[in-house]
Amino acid sequence: MKIKRVLLAAVSAGVMALANPAFAATELTLQRFFGACDADFGSNTDVAKAVGECGIITSLINKFNADNPDVHVNVTTVEWPGYDQLTAQFASGDAPDIVTIHESALSDYQSKGLLMPLDDLLKSVGVTPDAFTDAARNGATKDGKIYGLPIDSWTMLYHINMDLFKQAGLVNADGTPILPKSPEELLSQAEQFKQKTGKPYFVQNLANETALYTRNLYTYLFQQDSDFFADPKHVKLNTPEAKKVVEMYKAIFDKGYTTKNLDYGGAINAFLAGEGGVQLNGTWVVGDNNAQSETKGTALNKGGYAVYPYPQLFAGAHAQYADGHTWAVSQKDRTPEQTAAIGKFLKFFADNDFDWSRTGHLPAYKAIISSDAFKALPHRNTIAAVADLGRPLPSAVQRQFAIQDIIGEEMSAAITGQKDVDAALADMESRVNELLANL
Amino acid sequence: MRAPAISIRGRAFGDRVLLALVILLSIVMIAPVLWVIGLSLKENAELMANPNSVFQAPYTLKNYINTIATSSVFVWVFNSIIVSGGLTLGTLILSSLAGYGFARLNFPGRNVLFVIVLFGLAVPEQAVLVARHQIFSMLNFHNSYHGLILPGLSASFGVFLMTQYFKAIPKELDEAALLDNASRFRIFWKVLLPLTVPAQATLGIFTFLGAWNDYLWPLISATKKDMYTLTVGMASTQTNFAQSEGIGFLMAQAVFAGAPILIVYLFFQKYIVTAVSGAAVR
Repeated sequence: MKIKRVLLAAVSAGVMALANPAFAATELTLQRFFGACDADFGSNTDVAKAVGECGIITSLINKFNADNPDVHVNVTTVEWPGYDQLTAQFASGDAPDIVTIHESALSDYQSKGLLMPLDDLLKSVGVTPDAFTDAARNGATKDGKIYGLPIDSWTMLYHINMDLFKQAGLVNADGTPILPKSPEELLSQAEQFKQKTGKPYFVQNLANETALYTRNLYTYLFQQDSDFFADPKHVKLNTPEAKKVVEMYKAIFDKGYTTKNLDYGGAINAFLAGEGGVQLNGTWVVGDNNAQSETKGTALNKGGYAVYPYPQLFAGAHAQYADGHTWAVSQKDRTPEQTAAIGKFLKFFADNDFDWSRTGHLPAYKAIISSDAFKALPHRNTIAAVADLGRPLPSAVQRQFAIQDIIGEEMSAAITGQKDVDAALADMESRVNELLANL
Repeated sequence: MRAPAISIRGRAFGDRVLLALVILLSIVMIAPVLWVIGLSLKENAELMANPNSVFQAPYTLKNYINTIATSSVFVWVFNSIIVSGGLTLGTLILSSLAGYGFARLNFPGRNVLFVIVLFGLAVPEQAVLVARHQIFSMLNFHNSYHGLILPGLSASFGVFLMTQYFKAIPKELDEAALLDNASRFRIFWKVLLPLTVPAQATLGIFTFLGAWNDYLWPLISATKKDMYTLTVGMASTQTNFAQSEGIGFLMAQAVFAGAPILIVYLFFQKYIVTAVSGAAVR
């Protein structure tokens, strides 16, 4: 009798397990960039222990999976930025559920109806757009709707080797770096730096590069109040304002105020080895540079590390180019359980945005940016201003990554002397407009 | 007697210059490989602080242990072997059959068909990429081995090479076999095909290397991580813009990734050298 009962109970439990969907986790496919770091963080769920973009995002997703046994997020890592792959996936009807998309690239997919508007889903899990910073909300909003959960705002910064700045006599009495207030001051300070230290003022990755050139141009066009994308389908770049910027960077190149033949990895290593004063790089290296400055024996440990937004060189708007990362959701038929699981995932990232901001990116949420915990992170007092200064291109501008490549190629040609500045500006304008005319 | 002595000395000097150049070029070629191996034996924190630390102890096998324990590189290598091997085998079979047909058989429209095949040499992959992707989407071929292998089988170069090679073989061999009552397929299989081994080796090596290094088509066709080939998989792991993790780990993966092709080279060294020098002479 006893055996019979045990058998009956076992069979009942088995039948219930098969019949009850709660036992089967809802599968979500997620696709992201930021690299792979499984060796260090592949099974880490303690997010506080994670460092760097890859480490933190890997650990956050691990923690979500651990905290939510009813959902399983299956991650695919792609080469940055992954848009060729994503476009191909949409074309073959096989897009991931959740995907990292830059705010500047959202329009490319949203305009074709490929992304799901998230307003209702976010509202259902208690995330409202008024919690976002202005920069994040503007970046994620297209045609009045939210098309991606913003997780940060990022921009390019002046990463400064204070030891070399001291040697160059470019430090204020309060220990802060002396930064230029005009193109002329920039060139004279760069000359002073070179004379005193024997090293270039800038460490730039000018080889195999387009993004840096373009972001530099956008920032200093904003600072001259140049409305170069007044019409989102027609750019005006063959202008006196653009010429000023290109000529300024050409002078920096010609006079040896910058490293010349470094690619991205080379520029990072050169800066960390103390081979120049200012590295132009993004928010994402703040945490790592700070860690280097706290490590004995490193070049940044000698005299310290400081990081600032780009200096205001022109008399126009106080602004600099900024973008942001979002989690976007593909438009496809889903079960209510799958949609709910996506909502749960987005809510988790909204709730844990502080951890993501440890990368150096600025938080996408007002509550976090004004929190003591965020302010206590190193260097946030100097870079928090980017939340107000940061300005994206108008959201209706499509193909921003392709435009970035064109502008970068032409700027590179002009700055390195392969092309006349006027010819490069004319070519970049016509090439971008040709691209936009064929959308 | 003097003249030959000068000549020998002159030749010896020339040989020495040649040897020095070969050594110099060998160093240039081997340096990146040694650099990769060196980086793979270092802790990442050390590399971040000073890239030149690669020349100084301590060294560690940690990156290799981590690669074996956590990396997907073996899955990617396996996928690349299947795709490159399948594509090479398929190309050799189809190109040989087509080459034999164009070289030896008379059939209506042969010349027109051969021109159409040759036209394929002038069409870059990028020109047909979108259309091919759409067709493969309709057929549900993406994220599969056959989806990665099939596009490469339309090998115009292979057909052209094999056609020319079959044409260069004297027709008397076919006629002798025909007199012995051999069938067309038997002539192809037993008489002519063995004579084309050098051409097969050339075509096979170039096809295998091309497939192994291919990036564009696998990038947009193999979008699921368990179907990544080596090129796509390696690229997916390295875009960590802070570069705070994994330089040594990435290099250890690169060592594992490079091993199969090195083994292929060791086994087929003779054929590869013959193929490359033969191609250069042609």
